Amino acid sequence: MKNKLMHLSNETMNVGFVKKVEALSGSSVRRCFQCGKCSAGCPMSTFMEHPPNRIVRLLQLGQGQRVLAGRSIWYCASCETCTTRCPNKVDLAAIMDALRKLSWDADGPSKESYVQLANRLFIENIRTYGRQYELRLGAIFNMKSGQFLKDLMLGPKLISKGKLKMFHSKNRNISDIEGIFKRVEEMRKKGEAL
Amino acid sequence: MTPGKKKLSYSYYPGCSLHASGREYDISTRALFKALNVGLKEVPDWFCCGATPAHNVDELLSLSLCAKNLSLAEQVEGDLAVACAACFSRLKTTQHHLKEDATKRKQVEYAIDGPASLNKPVKHILEILAREYGLAKLEESVKKPLMGLKVAAYYGCLLTRPPEVPELDDCEDPSIMEDILRALGAEPVKWSHRMECCGANFTLSRPGVVLKLSNAILESARLAGADCIMVACPLCHGNLDIRQKEIKEAFGAPDSTLFGSIFGSDLPISTTSEDRRDLPIFYITQLAALAMGVASQSLGFESVIIDPKPLLRDKQLL
Repeated sequence: MKNKLMHLSNETMNVGFVKKVEALSGSSVRRCFQCGKCSAGCPMSTFMEHPPNRIVRLLQLGQGQRVLAGRSIWYCASCETCTTRCPNKVDLAAIMDALRKLSWDADGPSKESYVQLANRLFIENIRTYGRQYELRLGAIFNMKSGQFLKDLMLGPKLISKGKLKMFHSKNRNISDIEGIFKRVEEMRKKGEAL
Repeated sequence: MTPGKKKLSYSYYPGCSLHASGREYDISTRALFKALNVGLKEVPDWFCCGATPAHNVDELLSLSLCAKNLSLAEQVEGDLAVACAACFSRLKTTQHHLKEDATKRKQVEYAIDGPASLNKPVKHILEILAREYGLAKLEESVKKPLMGLKVAAYYGCLLTRPPEVPELDDCEDPSIMEDILRALGAEPVKWSHRMECCGANFTLSRPGVVLKLSNAILESARLAGADCIMVACPLCHGNLDIRQKEIKEAFGAPDSTLFGSIFGSDLPISTTSEDRRDLPIFYITQLAALAMGVASQSLGFESVIIDPKPLLRDKQLL
């Protein structure tokens, strides 16, 4: 996808997608004049196939699929450097959030499934326990990602230092938390929220 | 304390890390506030703010979780003190967004089944120490000045960015940490990487990212002559302390490793493996409490990976 020629026509430009990104992020993509300051300060741009300024350019050209097909959006660290430095007030960090949400909703096979998996387990932990249960997070991540030996030496060390708890108790108000998840889902189903 | 002036007192949102991998941050925060005679009461039944993963894929959920925590915080008097940079950022972001966006506020209030409390001031402990307790008073309270300790103050990402949200300090050239260090008698060093990202929560999904970014931060601090690094975020601490041995193994000698050959090109490498001495990573509260004369046994030093005691003994601070 990266090296394929881009043909711009009404058929290949998905303007609806871009409007969705703008609505979700509350930020315009049209304001960007490609100064490149966002990519220059981005600590993660070396890991991305499309650095931040190119993501915005692709969106301006209605190339949403091209953006979602890559791994760039999952390599954004949400450090807010781009948003802070943009001279035209393009909120790139929010645009990245919006793109990740659209990719997440589509639930297609992302090239960066490890980050998606980590996010999913993190959010599951909130729903199940109320707070993070770091040992479970690490163990299930390794199991599901097939990296059984990842950080194997770190676990026992952290447990002996008191940094990883073996057991975890649930929040007492866990039903309130479940309520929040349910009502957010409900609003989406009814089309009351993006 | 001047007569008639009320004792400073705060409600406290520790966040998940401070009850687990960053437990020494929690322990030392409590010890410091006790030493300064500032009240600190934990918000009952608080839950995870969602941190980066929640807003990465579901902003509405992230805002709702934080809004619910803010309303829980109303049960305890006093402004809300937050130590974790990520929790601080998320709670402040929620207040900022919901004040500006009436539609989102309506959605969030439906999700949490109650009004969103947006007016309780959320404060990072850095601003509590430097502005509310005050630098002058902080300096007066020092019992054991941290003389001769060269510290690289590490801000990371979320304490100051984007500027209109945390409103803590200048977003490109902050000084609040250095100010506090000087008040404690320590010597802040000038260094290049104090606001660079450490890789944050990629530590679970893509540790290679963390090794590369954190290595650059550690190298920069070493080159500036720092004895140690001071942080105000449990994720920064985890990445710089827990992974330091791995970083050393991965980047030990210039381009001699797999990592060196993959990522080596843009690293500020100039040192050999012998120069790569361990840098202890301190939480701001550990250093401040130490200067206030709190016994080192109650600062959680036993929980960190890079033992700071040899350095502290060397500087006659233990």
